[in-house]
Amino acid sequence: MEYKDYYKIMGLSRTATQDEVKRAYRKLARKYHPDVSKEKDAEAKFKELGEAYEVLKDTEKRAAYDKLGTNWKAGEDFRPPPNWDEGFEFKGGNFTGSDAGVFSDFFEQLFGRAGFHSPGHEPHQFHARGQDTHAKIYIDLEDSIKGTTRNISLSAPEMDAQGHVQLKHRNLNIKIPQGIKPGQHIRLAGQGDPGLGGGKAGDLLLEIAFNNHPQYRVSDTDIYLDLPVTPWEARLGAKIKVPTPGGIVDLKIPPHSEQGTKLRLKGLGLPAKTPGNFYVILQIALPPAHSEEAKAAYQKMQHEFDFNPRISMGV
Amino acid sequence: MTSHHLLPVHTGTVIEDDSLTLDQLCDACGVHAEWVISLVEESIIEPQGDEIQVWRFSGGCLIRVRSALRLHHDLGVNLAGIALALDLMDELENMRTQLKIMKRD
Repeated sequence: MEYKDYYKIMGLSRTATQDEVKRAYRKLARKYHPDVSKEKDAEAKFKELGEAYEVLKDTEKRAAYDKLGTNWKAGEDFRPPPNWDEGFEFKGGNFTGSDAGVFSDFFEQLFGRAGFHSPGHEPHQFHARGQDTHAKIYIDLEDSIKGTTRNISLSAPEMDAQGHVQLKHRNLNIKIPQGIKPGQHIRLAGQGDPGLGGGKAGDLLLEIAFNNHPQYRVSDTDIYLDLPVTPWEARLGAKIKVPTPGGIVDLKIPPHSEQGTKLRLKGLGLPAKTPGNFYVILQIALPPAHSEEAKAAYQKMQHEFDFNPRISMGV
Repeated sequence: MTSHHLLPVHTGTVIEDDSLTLDQLCDACGVHAEWVISLVEESIIEPQGDEIQVWRFSGGCLIRVRSALRLHHDLGVNLAGIALALDLMDELENMRTQLKIMKRD
């Protein structure tokens, strides 16, 4: 088990006042809150911070932690000294953190496990529907286009008969309906938390997110594609082939098109109830000028066109 | 092949836009109706329907209520602060999406 330096995690000295502890928590919590932060280890950092604050905000736990001494280094193998907690009285049974199941082994060793009642101690008359649980799953664009079945693995803290919190893993095969869009939810009835005292189980709510696609971008039900075209296709107009997730389609490029011109293929986005659109954004590609013939062609253009693209800059 | 081919396939129901009742939303987020009502009053979420009995919420509301709950619980943000934070976060998200759309490759 690794020693955790709660002061270091919160960027505090050991002499910090309780006010300073609170201020440091507020500041760091805003920085690492998973809803706000886009840093990829934000969630882990936020949990670590929550654990550190759980100890340092509580003068009893902080005093007990301080008693371990200052010679420990973060990450060092840790075994609590015998009778380290002698003479400390923790109020109200262990601790009160709501996400206690996710605290580290180090924390558990010092302050015990969550002080939940085990289910056997609930009064007989007590019935309650289990809680709905949530998970986010990532699918590919093609999954929504065609509809498919995906295997997902979920883990959630669960309490065993002795009241110990452990991470339970399970695998589920989930039907992904055609046309589902990012941010939409699938409800799996009865797959949430079990009910208490014969109450109904809660539901599992899966929030859908899309993996980044190498070619397409998805926004709500619309799909976007950057499509390279030649200068003459853009300027003179052309009929070309375009890949879409549903297959290759014909596209008419109108004459006088520009770099960045956006063309809409109606109804070729996600096949939702109201199907989205497919947008093609023209990207003009220049042919290379390696051969003498190609160079001659560019030189001909240079002579034919009286063209200064920097005219608006006055040069 | 792998063992999950032996597992049964679960077919869920898609939560369509404006399909959740107040009760369902409360169950889904583990909160009291009062809390959701105060979010509606602060116009943090906007249900379809005028009367509370016919309110219908979208899956987007579900995501917003859960974010609001976390902001309140983890950061101690009040309702006005939650409204501001969520709107700014939405704007940021829209701009990130726009940037992705505009950025070549």
